[in-house]
Amino acid sequence: MKPRYHSLLAAALIALPLFSVSATAEPKRGGIINVATVGEPPTLDPMVSTADLVGIVSQHIFETLYTFGKDWAITPLLAEALPDISPDGKVYTIKLRSGIPFHDGGTMTSRDVVASLKRWTENASRGKQTATNIAAIDAVDDLTVKITLKEAYAPLLALLAFNNSAAIILEADNQAVPLAKVVGTGPYALKERKADQYIQLTRFDGYKSRAGEADFYGGARKQYLDEIRFVPVPDPNTRVEGAVAGQFAYIDSLPVESFERLKGGKSTPSVLKSFGWPVFVMNTKEGILSKLEVRQAVQAALDPNDMLLAAFGSKDFYEVDGALYPKGFIWHTEAGTKLYNQANPDKAKALLEKAGYKGEPLVILTSRQYEFHYKMAQVAKAYFEQAGFKVDMQVVDWATLTQRRADPKLWSIYITHSPFLPEPALSSYMSDASPGWWSTPAKHAAIGPFNTAVNAAERVKLFAKVQEAVYAEAPLYKVGNFNALYAQAPNLKGVEPAPWPFFWNASLD
Amino acid sequence: MVGYVLNRLIGMIIVMFIVATVVFVIVRVTPGDPAAVMLGPDATAADIAALREQLGLNRPMLIQYVAFLEQVARGDLGRSIFLDQTVLSALAQRAEPTFFLTVFAMLIACAIALPVGIMAAWKRGTWTDQLVTAVAMLSASIPSFWLGLLFIQFFSVRMGWFPTSGYGGPGESFAGRMQHLVLPAVTLGIISSALITRFTRTSMIEVLSSDYIRTARAKGVGHMKVLLQHALKNALIPILTVIGLTAAVLISGAVVTETVFGLPGVGNLVVSAVLRRDYPVIQGALLIVAGLYVLLNFIIDMLYLVVDPRVRF
Repeated sequence: MKPRYHSLLAAALIALPLFSVSATAEPKRGGIINVATVGEPPTLDPMVSTADLVGIVSQHIFETLYTFGKDWAITPLLAEALPDISPDGKVYTIKLRSGIPFHDGGTMTSRDVVASLKRWTENASRGKQTATNIAAIDAVDDLTVKITLKEAYAPLLALLAFNNSAAIILEADNQAVPLAKVVGTGPYALKERKADQYIQLTRFDGYKSRAGEADFYGGARKQYLDEIRFVPVPDPNTRVEGAVAGQFAYIDSLPVESFERLKGGKSTPSVLKSFGWPVFVMNTKEGILSKLEVRQAVQAALDPNDMLLAAFGSKDFYEVDGALYPKGFIWHTEAGTKLYNQANPDKAKALLEKAGYKGEPLVILTSRQYEFHYKMAQVAKAYFEQAGFKVDMQVVDWATLTQRRADPKLWSIYITHSPFLPEPALSSYMSDASPGWWSTPAKHAAIGPFNTAVNAAERVKLFAKVQEAVYAEAPLYKVGNFNALYAQAPNLKGVEPAPWPFFWNASLD
Repeated sequence: MVGYVLNRLIGMIIVMFIVATVVFVIVRVTPGDPAAVMLGPDATAADIAALREQLGLNRPMLIQYVAFLEQVARGDLGRSIFLDQTVLSALAQRAEPTFFLTVFAMLIACAIALPVGIMAAWKRGTWTDQLVTAVAMLSASIPSFWLGLLFIQFFSVRMGWFPTSGYGGPGESFAGRMQHLVLPAVTLGIISSALITRFTRTSMIEVLSSDYIRTARAKGVGHMKVLLQHALKNALIPILTVIGLTAAVLISGAVVTETVFGLPGVGNLVVSAVLRRDYPVIQGALLIVAGLYVLLNFIIDMLYLVVDPRVRF
């Protein structure tokens, strides 16, 4: 028996290096993937749109100066390194990487970057928001750009890193709006767009990746795949069947109730924990919710447990959590959350009485485009009526909702949702101008220091004050956290779970 | 005859003008804003207003209307707000799947409906007739999205015979693209066959009870000859009408079926355009569709001349 053990051991020793070689082997280069998306993006210019779908597709074509690494840390992408920031936080000196080619053969210089950043400040929602604080954007030399601020503004880097309303870098002579040429510096270039059929991206052979390892959206971007095709499949049930049949390499945004069905199919379903948060935005500008007591009555009346259960069906897909960022984010804090999950109709009634509420309708604007919005609205309606509100629920399509919410006369609450954004300043409630129009001294007292603080640890502490202000003034009602469901083919490797999935570094077995 | 055709042509122009006006007004009075959709959920009111100005949507409605009519008169349906192409090219790009879907669906519908309807009429009052009537009722009542999903689950997922959705990727062969149309065409064909079956049955029953059919039978003409040569020809007029109208409905975009199967056809384009409030595409597509309806009706009327020698203008 002994010799046999010896031979087994020898075989194992011989095989061991082989296994370790295969475990660390470079993924296979080549192949085409089809990615099923929820629809056709309204544009391929991520600067002018804040739609997630635009960001998902275009992040393969265009790049920003910075992006997000693991744990959402800001990391350089087209910039050589993180910027040199003057001690007063007002001057950002950004060194650019050299020899970065555009898809059409040009090479990126500071001239392109300055032109692109100016386009961003003039055309992108987030850019315009930042522009009020920008004194100048200058080219110092061919590979250095300087941004001078009027006062310190800590969210600047996050805004420059984000992939929607994005500060993408375009060639200086390609700055028209709408965009004339879909030409960026990204790892994949647009080959063909057949609206409602596919968007075909092919590997950009001239791509200059960062050195080193991949780091979530940052670090090295390897182009293993020959092509990425984004295929719109607007019907959610058809996306599910496509996943079960194995027709796509990756299927985005699947209805959570299809999880069990997906398990038996040819694609592997995965849950992206704490993907986002549904929110009831309150109209603080006009109507009954302009009174703080009435907003507090809304806060007191609702039971998020029932709303989330109705919306997502199983605790596997949601979490009852009042914190504006869930655990795992550096921004997570429990400050102020004692006002969450009250489900106290008596308190709500008392607050309404105190506010002198006389039965004016509480207009809830919602859409069935996102079925979970509608389900939450139905449960909320019951709780509101229990508390003494007269509810007028208006169910409209999404385009109508986005138009009506711009008019403060038309609504009291509108329902929306958002992924957890890497930087709080990216959230719409932080802006006084976004529908809801929350703009009070208490808000500014909390957000002002948060935006101007340069020290990262200090900003984390200051965010607790922001969250406290949100709960004290109730400009919104965060319902909870929800998970996203997606599926991918078993032979698709290297896709990191992310709210805006990306396919550089992905490969096929 | 010439006078009749000229009258019809003038009528068609008037109808198209009315359609253009109605579509323009409906699209504009419907709430929703293409600028808000394009800019995404976090866009500010100022951004939306700026884009509206850029797109010319803030001009007085009358000025927009006159500009639209001028454009249409030049044969220009405008440019899509979202697709970075003209409305005509967007429609042309989507014409292929819709056209072939319509043709296949109509062939399937007629292949089912004509023999079944004729048989039901022939066996009037028997269990065969009752069965045909019941199945036709059932087919007409089935929602196309449900039947489509059922077919996807069985033929695509379980059997793996057909793709679940789409119209093929870049470089897909004609045969490959047609393969994507099989399930939607069968879905539509079955549903459309219900109406044609019922019209065929009714029309045939009416004709079969005519004196000339009784005379033909009395003269000893064979069953098949009576059915196919004597009865069917005269029963064809209402059947042709319903086939034409069904084809018109399908060619204008089998909206639900195209959406379920992710087919980039005219119906899908219209749905996307409505959801996005892509005004030029909605207007252009509806104008073309209305034009096709008018044209098909005209063709059907002309066909009456061929089928029914009694019809003279």
